[in-house]
Parts: sequence; C-alpha cells; structure tokens
Amino acid sequence: MTSIKIIGSTALALLTGLSPALAQMTAVGDGEGQLNIVAWAGYIERGETDKAFDWVTKFEAASGCKVNVKTANTSDEMVALMNEGGFDLVTASGDASLRLIAGKRVQPVNTDLIPSWSKVDPRLQNASWHTVDGVHYGTPYLWGPNVLMYNTEVFKEPPTSWNVVFEKMDLPDGKSNEGRVQAYDGPIHIADAAQYLMFHKPELKITSPYELNEEQYAAALDLLRGQRALVGRYWHDAFIQMDDFKNEGVVASGSWPFQVGLLKSEGLPIGSVIPQEGATGWADTTMLHVDAANPNCAYKWMEHTLSSNLQSDLSVWFGGNPVVPAACTDGSGMQTAEGCTANGLDDFEKIRFWTTPVANCSQGEGACVPYYRWVSDYIGVIGGR
Amino acid sequence: MTAILPAKSVADRLTTLFWRKPKLLLILLITPPLLWLGVVYLGSLAALLMQSFYSIDEFSGMVIPEFTLKTYAELLRPQNYDVIFRTLLMSAAVTLGCAILGFPIAYYAARFARGRWKAVFYLGIMLPLWSSYLVKVYAWKLILAKEGIITWAAEATHTSGILNAILSLPGIGGGSLSTSYIGMFLVFVYVWLPYMILPMQASLERVPTSMLEASADLGATRAQTFRTVILPLALPGVIAGSIFTFSLTMGDYIIPQIVGNSANFIGMAVYQLQGTAGNIPLAAAFAVIPILIMLVYLWIAKRMGAFDAL
Amino acid sequence: MSIAVEFRAVSRHFGPASAPVRAVDAVDLTIAEGAFFAMLGPSGSGKTTCLRLISGFESPTAGEICIFGENVSNTPPHLRNVNTVFQDYALFPHMNVRDNVAYGLMVKGMPRSQRYAKAEEMLALVHLDAYGSRKPAQLSGGQRQRVALARALVNEPRVLLLDEPLGALDLKLREAMQDELKSLQQRLGITFVFVTHDQHEALSMADSLAVFNEGKIAQIGTPAEIYNHPKSRFVADFVGSSNVLPPALTKQLGGPEKWASLRPESLRLDATGPLRGTVTAIRYLGAGHRITLTTHGTDIAAILPAGHPLPETGSTIALGFDATALHIMDQA
Repeated sequence: MTSIKIIGSTALALLTGLSPALAQMTAVGDGEGQLNIVAWAGYIERGETDKAFDWVTKFEAASGCKVNVKTANTSDEMVALMNEGGFDLVTASGDASLRLIAGKRVQPVNTDLIPSWSKVDPRLQNASWHTVDGVHYGTPYLWGPNVLMYNTEVFKEPPTSWNVVFEKMDLPDGKSNEGRVQAYDGPIHIADAAQYLMFHKPELKITSPYELNEEQYAAALDLLRGQRALVGRYWHDAFIQMDDFKNEGVVASGSWPFQVGLLKSEGLPIGSVIPQEGATGWADTTMLHVDAANPNCAYKWMEHTLSSNLQSDLSVWFGGNPVVPAACTDGSGMQTAEGCTANGLDDFEKIRFWTTPVANCSQGEGACVPYYRWVSDYIGVIGGR
Repeated sequence: MTAILPAKSVADRLTTLFWRKPKLLLILLITPPLLWLGVVYLGSLAALLMQSFYSIDEFSGMVIPEFTLKTYAELLRPQNYDVIFRTLLMSAAVTLGCAILGFPIAYYAARFARGRWKAVFYLGIMLPLWSSYLVKVYAWKLILAKEGIITWAAEATHTSGILNAILSLPGIGGGSLSTSYIGMFLVFVYVWLPYMILPMQASLERVPTSMLEASADLGATRAQTFRTVILPLALPGVIAGSIFTFSLTMGDYIIPQIVGNSANFIGMAVYQLQGTAGNIPLAAAFAVIPILIMLVYLWIAKRMGAFDAL
Repeated sequence: MSIAVEFRAVSRHFGPASAPVRAVDAVDLTIAEGAFFAMLGPSGSGKTTCLRLISGFESPTAGEICIFGENVSNTPPHLRNVNTVFQDYALFPHMNVRDNVAYGLMVKGMPRSQRYAKAEEMLALVHLDAYGSRKPAQLSGGQRQRVALARALVNEPRVLLLDEPLGALDLKLREAMQDELKSLQQRLGITFVFVTHDQHEALSMADSLAVFNEGKIAQIGTPAEIYNHPKSRFVADFVGSSNVLPPALTKQLGGPEKWASLRPESLRLDATGPLRGTVTAIRYLGAGHRITLTTHGTDIAAILPAGHPLPETGSTIALGFDATALHIMDQA
C-alpha cells in the first residue's frame, strides 16, 4: 500500500508541478563520523576491486566520515531504500530523481556550501532532473551516452547510423544482421526508436524522444516491430550482453561505455560510436535524504565528489563522463581528454537524457503517451505483437 | 505411602493440566503458525486480489482505489493475452518434459536403488538444488550459446544439420538454442526436475511390491501393470510434482530473462509492471492468473482421480 | 492322480556367488493335484521363497520347477496358470472390489459385462455379494481376505498359492476362515499351496505338508505322520512343541541311545513314573495346565488336563507315559 501512495503522490506532484519548499543547510559543521550512501554498483570504489581505483580512503581520512555503501540494482530499489530511510545520500538516475523530489524523500542542497559547485559543467548545473523551480536537489555525479557498440571485425569502419540495429540489411561482412544485433530490453528503448525517427522522419515532428503523441508513438512502435525480427534476444543485464557479444555472435547493439570498456580490456574487437542520429543517455545525481542523520558528512562528500580524483577515476572506471569537465585534463586522476572524447564528452548536445515520459508534456495536457503504456506496449512488441 | 506424588512446582501443575486437557496444548501450539498462515499468507493474498480490482488512470498513471474489472479486461489485450498463453504453454511443456524424464529416474530410485546407490541418487538429485539458481541458469546460457558447447559438439560430430533443423522449427526455434524457446524449455526442465522426481519417487516408494506382483500374478504384462497399477498409484506424486513444476515455471521471471528471445512471461510481466511501470493493479491481475490456473488444474486433477489413492 | 507342482533339485541363492545365502537349497518336492498342501517353517526357512518360485516372482538359481509337467523355470508370472493370495492381500486401493476381482479378466481382455458377471459370481462364492462397489479401504481384514481370494480364484487357476493367508486375522476369524478355506478347496477341487509358520494351522488344514528348515525340507508327509513321527529334533520341536530328549535321557527311560520326542499331552502325573524332576513353572492354558519340569538338565513340558490336582512350583514330582508315546528319531 505504501508504494502505491508514493507512486500516487509522485504522479500527483508531477501533474500539478508542485515542489516542496524545504529548509536548506546554512553551514557545514564537523563530520558526524559516518556516511550512508545508496549507489549503483561500481560507483563508489575504495580500491577493493582494483587497487588503482580508490576515491573513498582519502576522503575518510580527511573528513573522519566512514563511508558505508548499499548498492542498488534498479532505480525502483533506490527509491524503495530511500523510502525506508536510514541513508544520507543516493546516486539517483533521471527516472528516480524526480520521483524522490516529488515524494519529499530528498532535501534541497545549498550549493553555496559546496565550493566546487562552480566547477560543474554549466550544462548540468540546472538540469531538469535535479532542479525544480530553481531549487537544486543534489549535485551531478556522472553522465554517459547509450552508445552503439559494434564488432570491429565486422565493421572495419564505425557504423554511422543506428539503422544497423533498426533496419534489416546486410552488414559489411556480407551477412544479414538478422539475429546478430541486440536492443535494450526496457520500455525506454522506445525513446531510441523515436530519436531515430526524429532524424529520418522529420514529418513526424518529434521534438523529444520522451514526449510522444499517439501518432509519433505508433510510428516508433512500428519501427520496433521491424527490429523484433532482427533481434534474437534483448539485453538488460550488462554482463549478459557482454556474454552475448562473446558467445552468441552478436555484433552490434545499443550499449553503455561500461560494457565497451570491459570488452576492450579483455582484448575483444569491440568499438563504440555515437551515430549521426545522436543517442539517449543517463545522468546521475547525488541527492541528500530529507532526514539525513549525517548532513555534514554528506556535504563534505558532495564537495569531495566534485573536487577530488573521483570524477576523473570514476569516469575511467565506469565509462562515463565527469560532471566537472576539468577532470578530463587536470590530471587529478587517470582520465584523459581522449578518454572523455571516447566516452562521448563532446556529444553532450547529441544526447537526450533519460526522463520519465508523462502524459502532460510540452505538447499539452495529456497529449503524450505516459510511461506505463510504454511498458505494456513494449511487452507486446517483444512478444511479437 | 501415598499413591500420588505431590505436585512439586508450577511446571508439574502445567504438565498435569496439559495431560488432562490435551486440546489446550494443541491450541497453544498451533495458534502461532495458524496466525502466520492466516494473516501473513492469506492476508497478503487478499491484498493482492484487492489490488487487481483497482485500475490505473490512463492519463496520470495514478492508481485509482475503486472497484473495477477494467484491469482484468486489460489482460485480454493481445500482448497480455500472449504472455499468459505463452507462459501456460511453456509451463505445460516443462511439466510434461519433467514427468517423462523424471519418471524412469524416480522409478529406478524407488524400486531398484538400494543402500549406497540410493544415497548417490539423492545426492545426484539434490546437488543441483544446492548450487545457486542463477549460476545454473548462466551456465546453461553458456552451454546453449551459438558459440557454446552444444554447437561445438554438433560440429565435431557433423550433426550441425540436425541442430540447425531443430533451430529452424517455426515458433520454437531461433538463432541459437540460447535464444530459442527450445533452449528455455531445456533450462526449465533442468532446473525444476528435482521437484518432479522427489514427490514421484516418494509416491512410487509407497506402492508395495506385492501390488506389482499381484498384478503380474493376475496375468498383467509389464505395460498393463504400469498403466493400471503403477501410474494410478503414483499419480498423487506426479500431480504433486507437476504442481511444483507447473507453478514454478509459471512464476519464474529469471530464466526467461536470460535464456530465450526476451518475449515476456507472467513472472517477468509482473516484475516489470510493479517495478518500473508502477502499474500495480495490472501486475496484481497478472499475478492472480497463475493462482486461478492452479485452482483449475487441481480441480481437473481431482476429477481425474489423482487423489483417490491418497 | 497327476502331479501339480514338482521341484527337481531347486535352489535359490541370494547374494554373491562366493558366499551365497541359500534361501532354498536343492529342494525336491512334489505336490499332488487337488492337494491342500502346507509349507511350514520358521521365518527364513525358505518356505516363502518356495512359494514365490512357484508363482514366478523368483527364478531358481539351479534346478527345475514343473507345473503340471511343464517346465516353468523361465516363465514369467503372468504366463503361469497359478494365482496367489498375498499375505497383505495386495488389493489395488484405487479400484473398487468389483474391479479388483475382475482385474485378471480385464488384463486378458474380457469384455466388461462378462467379467463383471464373473466377478459378482466369485464375490457371491466368498459371501461378499453386496460389496462390489466398495473400496478396499472400506472393508474389514476378513473381508479383504475374501476379496483377495475371489480375485485369485476368478482366473480359475490350477494351483492357488496362499502366503500366510490368515496371519493378519484375529483368532476367531482365523478359525472361521480355516474352515471356509478348507471347504472352498474341497468344493473347487483345485490344488492349494499355502505357507504358514503356525503349526496348528498347517496341521489342521493341510492334507500333506512340508516342514522347512534352513532352505531344506526337514520332513514331508501327512499331518499325522509329521506330528506323531517327527524325523528330527527340529521337526519334533517345531511341530506340536514336543519335548526333545537327548540320547542319554532316552536311554534312561528305557529306549535306545538316540534322540527321541515325547509329546507334552502324553505325560501324566505318576508317582512311580520314570521322569522325576523339579517343577519350575506352571502355566494356565484354559483347557488344562502346562507344567515345566527340570530333570537332568533338560526341561520337559507336560500338559495336565483340568481337574487334576496341581503340584506346586519347586516341588519334586514324577511323570509317567505310555511306552508307545516315546518316539525314537532317525536323525539327530
């Protein structure tokens, strides 16, 4: 029942555009001694997986705040954990962040208390997934594109268009792409199709792949139905996708830089590209729990995420882009300008970040197809309808 | 000398009380589990049922807590109906596969395995249950992969033609075993087989040898004995096992995600609908389907006389 | 009269060939047609294995089994014209009584109406006419036994095998069933072979019997022969709980220096009797008393009819007997 109430209130808040006005911190005091964070796997490393990647130990020594991490696998799990309470921070993605704000699970962040805020990419400082009515509900953490991953033995030249995964065709090795391409097994993949149409069918007048009216939506679904015939299995788990590239003969698919990096590091002939149509992407935000028990440590951590080697090393480790652009070149960590370029830093404009499709969109009240229909219709598409 | 020892303590008095009123002890002992069953088990089931009679607002995506059958009507949409039908078909196929594969094993174990071999049998059956379910499924994904062991073995034995012929079967075939319904069927059968074998073995073990001898003595061939005596007497075990395999397959949401062509199954649909989509009513309606199917299944089994030998 | 069942040096060994368990060891046996034949012996003596060798549930390790002259050593049970009444009756719990009885006819392909008619006929024979529609679980032990009997007899076997047929019944029912089985056998005229460990049952029902011991037949003959003239200590001891006298005692009592048997009921109180000893136990039997006397280290039992004055435990008494009652045994 609780979950329904929360989803209900989220929807209501989104509907009416209400945002809770909450008191902000005015000063950062001494650390409370510990800090509890909900994060994606691989987001907060203390050198235990790989000695070279550690952005926690030094923070703990300097601030006296012991960092405890609870990893979550889905946005829903993150929301659920934040609803339970007992955590200070969460690295929320674009879908979870607005839900957390509307559900009053997070509090506004006083950016004046975070000296390095000024270093944040200006394009992210006021991003809509964490800023409501000019109030910031967190600090950007990492962002990345959904790239087109491909096998370099099949594609001597990087593919220039997403058509290799959307249209039936012969690939450069002369064999059909049937059964050799993959697509994301989540309804959000409809946005990828919409973005493809945005480029190839301007007459549909799609302005945002997350805001589709019935006609645009129907066109996207049609495209995906065609794709169904090409895809043997859809992917939703990064490691299963990597396995499919290794053992299942898959040669092209939408993917994350994370998989690209790992497969390359294993010496496999893998490349990635952001094709001409652009790409969708994800952008995560460190958000502060409304009842955070350790706000001082939390503020210290947020400053740390922007000022230390974290941005640089994290972007190498996870395969994303630092929200502090300087981290690409300042030598604070392992990241380099080339690395950032490879992770799509220069393609920011081409990337349309993930947000939850809602009925009331820029096309008007109730003009757009809401997310729950994306879910049921995408189930149908994958089921062969 | 007195005939009765004096009651020494509260404990003595209590045991006396329980001895005189055995029902009191029974009530005390079964109340907690009954409460658990009633509140936690049936309560959550009732909550689920209730949710399925709510609906989701088409525009806002909000759940409307008012009684309606709209959500159930949604199940009849082609894509949802597909999911149910697909799940049902797979569950039936897996159950049948497990029964056919499991019966000889169970029969052997119940009738012929003795002493150490019996232990080996139990270990063999139970061992896969002890390892992680996910590990098993991932392992199978590798075995069935296009560039996996089976393809390799087929090439090495020059039987690739057979494999390709199987994979080109319409509907159940696919690019490789790992992305086809056949592969999913194999994994399901592997994973749930112990749940079929153990109850079957238990029921076969309860069929006295004299019953089989009596049948042979009265002139029945082995086939006749199997059909008219063993099968009916083992039926409760087969039904029990099939209830496991059927409902486990119907509720599973991991295997269809890892093996197969990503087409939805009821479990996956519930997982997605209640999670990312926030469509709890439809998820609940989907979740009610297996319960209804199982009730119908049990009813048919009863009509068939599955429980007559109990 | 022809021979119904014949064993020619039949052995059935279990376990490894190096150290076999000789359940049945080189047994020769003939059972005449129309006989009511009992196989008597303690548990593990091989009598049940012999029965199973006839029905076909066991095959001989060596030797030949013939049924009406036909060698059936390698014939499976369902092709032998013998039927068995099992110790636990082995009624099919999922079938009603009628279907149970008609089972043998059903597997032979007899049409339903015909086989049901025969089943009802057979149920009438065992006085269960009204029970056709019941399930075995709804019947008493005695009724189940009759169903098992009807189920076997409906196939018109030439030999009916009964494995401890009365073992599971209470005393009263057992006596009634003994009479019924006997009269049934006489009416039908088919050969009955039954296994029992109860010597009274064997003696009262059978017209000939074999006493088994350790896989061999200890003695074969009519009940009277076996009861009155046991060949060995074992038979004397097992059949009729006779007193077995060691050679020294036999000699003392005026016989040759051989093992002898002396039935308890042939002893009587006699102050001049040759058997003197101390009374160690007295047991009330209803129709009389059984007293145990210890003499020269041997326990001797005597049954005294009711009405006699009883000696006291611990007292010394003397017992006498007719010289003919002392049976000298050929074998040790």
